[in-house]
Amino acid sequence: MEMHQIRYFLAVAQTLNFTRAADECNVTQPSLTRAIKQLEAELGGDLFRRERPAAQLTELGQRMHPLLKQCYEAAVGARSLATSFKSGKVGTLRIAIADAVDLALLIPHLEQLKRLFNALEFKLLRGNSKQIGEYLKKGEAELGIAVEMDNDWDRLDGWPLFTESFQLVVNARHPLADQGSVEFDDLKSQQMLSRGYCEYAERLSAALRAGNIDVDGGHDISAEHDLIKLLEADIGIAIVPCSASMPDTLRRAAIEGLDVRRTVQLFGVAGRERTAVASAVMKMLRSADWLPFTTPVTAPGRETRPALSIVAA
Amino acid sequence: MAEKTFAELLDESTDDSRIMDAPLSERLKAVADEVERRSPEFAAVVARMVARLEANNVGQSAPQIGERMPDFILPDEKGTLVCLENLLEQGPVVVSFHRGHWCPYCRLNADGLARIAPDVKRLDAQIVAISPETHQYGAELKADANAPFPVLADVDNGYALELNLLFWVGDEKREAMQAGGFDIAPYQGNETWMLPVPATFIVGRDGLVKARYIDPDYRRRMELDAILAALGNLAGRVQSQASETESTAQRTAGRRHSTA
Repeated sequence: MEMHQIRYFLAVAQTLNFTRAADECNVTQPSLTRAIKQLEAELGGDLFRRERPAAQLTELGQRMHPLLKQCYEAAVGARSLATSFKSGKVGTLRIAIADAVDLALLIPHLEQLKRLFNALEFKLLRGNSKQIGEYLKKGEAELGIAVEMDNDWDRLDGWPLFTESFQLVVNARHPLADQGSVEFDDLKSQQMLSRGYCEYAERLSAALRAGNIDVDGGHDISAEHDLIKLLEADIGIAIVPCSASMPDTLRRAAIEGLDVRRTVQLFGVAGRERTAVASAVMKMLRSADWLPFTTPVTAPGRETRPALSIVAA
Repeated sequence: MAEKTFAELLDESTDDSRIMDAPLSERLKAVADEVERRSPEFAAVVARMVARLEANNVGQSAPQIGERMPDFILPDEKGTLVCLENLLEQGPVVVSFHRGHWCPYCRLNADGLARIAPDVKRLDAQIVAISPETHQYGAELKADANAPFPVLADVDNGYALELNLLFWVGDEKREAMQAGGFDIAPYQGNETWMLPVPATFIVGRDGLVKARYIDPDYRRRMELDAILAALGNLAGRVQSQASETESTAQRTAGRRHSTA
């Protein structure tokens, strides 16, 4: 396949008109038609029914459309990133990260970009999942990293990055510190710091209640840095996702029987042109090895795809 | 014990081919013969796909000798961004497209490149492999070949398409691959079933393509001696205008490697 063939295919798929598509691509209609015929020969079938007044995508055309579009956008992104490198101008990375997601996940990738693009600027937005969705919708952010998104907008593209479990975090002086893992019973009579900004707070509480843990007498916390300060002061204990980074003064422990997992996802807006830097970050995050954060699914017969599984509460 | 998949059986043959004392083309052919022997049906599907790609000249419009190699910025298997322009400041670059760590021919190709890596280094050149796989699997290809060179991730095949090297596997071959234990979608992080035509480019310090090998028959790769000869030409050349060589499977007879 050649890049211009796909460009012409996408133009016809959008306009459903060979003449208009040729105009848009600045080629003559015979060259556009020839290129599409070559693409059809290679793919082994017609992509369009040449009908009047409008051309229609065939079944093969409809199947190939999202695939070709994905590769084409990747090629355009690859080319514009290389061009940005030559000019030294890469623009501003506008990215929104959910409150319950640690910025540390992004740092190595930002460092890589910074190394090649001195002039890189970022705009870092924070909020809950709903706000991340709004930032994307309004175009204030090009990319979002969040756990779940209200899927009322069909233009949101999501790529699962990794699925992880939650663990207990306590102060190093706490009696539960240095226990590799704890049981539900160990959590009784402990004061819980509840991460109100985490989309999974409710589900965690439900799982704890199902294990006969009283979660109502805890503290309500609204920001991760407050949570860490309180843990460092040994005021309460917390249940946090494995990917959350914690200072050395705190200790982690697995909670036996707690089967709540969340999938951290990258979001973008379909059909909106991405800046070179956003398309680079998107590809870096999607190709990154998230294995260190991924919690293996151990129970037999369970789905191995990134999926949410919650203990029946 | 569960019956071995076709993919697993081929892995064993690939390990056997790897230790053969023979040129890369013969090692690759040994695996192709094994495919034919074990599953004539699979081999027939391969032949039909390759015939479709050859009939449509897939890959032939990639950058020609004397043309500029488009620049790339791609992450390696550890996430470090690698930029062609920066590599060229240090010397010529061998850019080698691979299908993935699951492909026996790519494994042999990467293994071959790893063997000549010290010679490539002596010629002040570097090797980079590019595949559409995510870092985890790029790292597997690298580890399997014990390769000192990076395996870059071209997610969604953007750079491969920019070079006109991309092709669609097609339903018949996809079904045969899935049945044989080659489900590439999770390795690529997408459901496109697109692959690059395996290709090797020798790029001079001036950013121009000095030699290339592109073959829609993925069972054939640029011979290791041809890579070293092309790099030797560059190293020995007083002026960069000396005669270029193009090596293709069809035209190996016409290949000359003279040093100026």
